[in-house]
Amino acid sequence: MSYLFASALLFALGVYGVLTRRTAILVFLSIELMLNAANLSLVGFARAFGLEGQVAALMVIAIAAAEVAVGLGLIVAIFRQRESTAVDDLSELRG
Amino acid sequence: MTPWEALALLLLLFTGVLVVTLKNAIHAALALIGNFLILAGIYVALEARFLGFIQIIVYAGAIVVLFLFVIMLLYAAQGEVGFDPLVRSRPLAALLALGVALVLLSGLWGLNLAFTQDLKGGLPQALGPLLYGDWLFVLLTVGFLLMAATVVAVALVQPARPLDALRPEERKEEKEVVR
Repeated sequence: MSYLFASALLFALGVYGVLTRRTAILVFLSIELMLNAANLSLVGFARAFGLEGQVAALMVIAIAAAEVAVGLGLIVAIFRQRESTAVDDLSELRG
Repeated sequence: MTPWEALALLLLLFTGVLVVTLKNAIHAALALIGNFLILAGIYVALEARFLGFIQIIVYAGAIVVLFLFVIMLLYAAQGEVGFDPLVRSRPLAALLALGVALVLLSGLWGLNLAFTQDLKGGLPQALGPLLYGDWLFVLLTVGFLLMAATVVAVALVQPARPLDALRPEERKEEKEVVR
């Protein structure tokens, strides 16, 4: 049970990070925190409901890897154009 | 809850706080590595050994190193300097995060889980039949997604035209158009 509580608090920390960080890279770090909080709760629930929770956590890790590849690619592409990764500078998508 | 469990969870939350508060991007990424390593230990304690190893190899070993690489590539180590437009909205963000935590914790309220499931130590021998059985379609889809992500990441960072091929005045012009 304590793991599920910790997972909820970790997720909230990730939410706080996403809302307050100004650099896209640090926003991504906070998203990773949230994904890991979800993983922790999946593994915690696997203790009660069976191995499927662990398999789902594996899938979440794979999705996180894909997200990081695309996200960091985007950040590098945007940095090339604007020489900044601050999310406030990117409030318009007109390129 | 044993003292070791309590210590691990406290360290987990502490490194999480460091990740969202440290100004220097590299320090935040290093705190994230610590967070992932502690999480891997917790996975092993929760009978998810294979997942614990994957956590170390894939997350702490590959994903965060990719982060560090990009931070260094973009000279973004001094993550957040200068004028902060978010100072006033920071308490609001904290409030919202607290609300999220309360909603999540309320879901756990009164939950009574019996930890009796035999997970066979969470070893690959136990996970394999599931991965290549009931979850086969999901596994293939995720594999396809990873491949697509790789292709997209490579396509994204291709320059439309090599910058060196442009003449200086042209380069300036292009920058102005972009801005």
